[in-house]
Amino acid sequence: MMQLIVDALSNGGLYGLAALGVGLVFGVMRLVNFAHGELIAGAAYLLVTSLSFGLVPALIISIVGAMLLALLLELGVFSRLRGADPSVLLIASFGVSVLLQRIYETIFGALPLSGQAAAWMSGVWQVGNTQISRGSLVTVVLTLTLLVAMKLTIERTTLGLQLRAASADFQTAQLLGVRSNRVIGAAFALSGLLAAVVGFIVFTQRGQVDPLFGVNITILALVGTVIGGLGSLQGAAVGGMVVGATISVLSNALGNDRTYTYSVLFVLVIVVLLVKPAGLFGQGTIKERV
Amino acid sequence: MASEKKLAGLTHWRWSEVLGPVVVVGVLSYGTALISPGMRFMITGALATLVMVLALQVFVGNSGVLSFGHGTFALLGAFTTGLLTMPSRIKENVLSDLAGPLQSAHAGMPVGMLAGVLIAAVAALVIGLFLMRLHGLAAGIATFAVLMVGDNIFFNSRWIGPGPQVMPQVPRFPFLEVPLVLALLAIVVAYAAGVSRSGRLLRASREDYLAAQALGKSIWRLRVGFFALSGAMAGLAGAMYAHHAAAISARDFYLGFTFLTLAMLIIGGAGSVWGAVVGCMVVTALGQLLLSLEQGLQIGSLVFTIPDGVRAITIAAALVVVLLWRPTGITGSREFALPSLRRRPLGTEKNAVHNT
Repeated sequence: MMQLIVDALSNGGLYGLAALGVGLVFGVMRLVNFAHGELIAGAAYLLVTSLSFGLVPALIISIVGAMLLALLLELGVFSRLRGADPSVLLIASFGVSVLLQRIYETIFGALPLSGQAAAWMSGVWQVGNTQISRGSLVTVVLTLTLLVAMKLTIERTTLGLQLRAASADFQTAQLLGVRSNRVIGAAFALSGLLAAVVGFIVFTQRGQVDPLFGVNITILALVGTVIGGLGSLQGAAVGGMVVGATISVLSNALGNDRTYTYSVLFVLVIVVLLVKPAGLFGQGTIKERV
Repeated sequence: MASEKKLAGLTHWRWSEVLGPVVVVGVLSYGTALISPGMRFMITGALATLVMVLALQVFVGNSGVLSFGHGTFALLGAFTTGLLTMPSRIKENVLSDLAGPLQSAHAGMPVGMLAGVLIAAVAALVIGLFLMRLHGLAAGIATFAVLMVGDNIFFNSRWIGPGPQVMPQVPRFPFLEVPLVLALLAIVVAYAAGVSRSGRLLRASREDYLAAQALGKSIWRLRVGFFALSGAMAGLAGAMYAHHAAAISARDFYLGFTFLTLAMLIIGGAGSVWGAVVGCMVVTALGQLLLSLEQGLQIGSLVFTIPDGVRAITIAAALVVVLLWRPTGITGSREFALPSLRRRPLGTEKNAVHNT
């Protein structure tokens, strides 16, 4: 039971981080970024290939690399699509995502690359008469710390203020002197940072990385962003947490039928959307055009 | 305005506009199929893809709501006709966990395909009844959820299909004419749906939901109807794919398929039937060209080859580049004026600019 709670928390935190990364970018430019998963995969590839330098340098390399890749995507692709229809943006990010997957496949091969990032994280701690995996607990601590740090950044800094302003009403923010390209760039860089952390955590769990490494978690993060409430950064994080925790609970509750976890999850998603189209925590301020 | 004549086209049935894509697709398919048996095989696959892109055009193009869920309807069409038409002996041996009635059912290709289309249509209708209450991104993500549920069920259950395995030995189309006629029929249906009264109202709702509602029609009902029609067409596309590929699996209709067909639609232009046709042709031709380059293309005494993997990268990159250049290149900074939407009814462009 204890383990289930920790699992649900760590899974929730993980998907919360991923959803926050997606939500940051969505907030400032209405881009549902499918390519976020390839930021996660790219960070994991950088991590596994630079592990020989030691864990900390490898982590720094992967974080910086993911942020640079995110900025590259923004400069190379999305900055040229300003003002395009959201559906075009979405398809473009879908295209970028497939493109990056193919590039990873060409560079690193279709087979998974394995490596050991932090061996002690696969161990367990004995608490009373229950065992709790260290990885889960570290994930909980790490994600909660990052979520708090992000919350402080968003609420207490000028950049955060600009991000929130741009999320709430991009054009008004622009009129009031918020430098739009800088804010969007910052949002992408932060999403790259979050992607690198997610990549590290998932890599310690799986021990290997392949070209489709980030696809699943991104799909679930996107779902979390939407059910959390589009355009609300806190909603995105909480939505992701809800999705992650639901997966843990469902796969535990379904027992032998756990292969159908996703079916139940996505039916729940549809139900949530039907009952609250603006999202669980959305204020309904954002009206889509269609 | 030079495009005024074109704009009028969508409100009236114009034979020239129906026959245009029909003739182009017919002539190109026949011409290409004559080159070699390999090309002929490629064309039957391309025609199945074309029907899928047309199916997406009928719903996405007219309603403006993105759908990622059509892969599920194609899967239903493919699995239905596959299970009905594959040889019973092989079905007993390979798909031994199948539910009783599915195990014993057998039919010919026409009945199988019809059943596939009907099942896909019913599924789309039922799903549409719920999902069409949503708008915008919520609707997009909900259709995405449909794709995920469909894949999850069909990839895991051996009771209603092959599960993670392949469904083998589905009979192939006997003549090229069968898929060709079906594809041409799909073009006519898509055009007819677009110029119909309902189609025009739906496009009006794409531009201005409230104004279209004010005309006194239930937009929800229109969307449900078009979703069901386009689901039926997707079922047909899936059935055609099954009788083209002969071996099908649940993952044939998953993310890659969804991405490719949607990208074809957006590249060609979601607003018109011609756009769907062009998008499908251009992407297919590009893929074929790169494939032949990968295998070594001989021109005179020179043989051009490109390394493996370049094809996959180039197609994805080409999609991104086209998406990058067309919206900005043709429309400048105007917000909703996609190149594909040049055929919009008169006056909407002004509204779109004011809205921003």
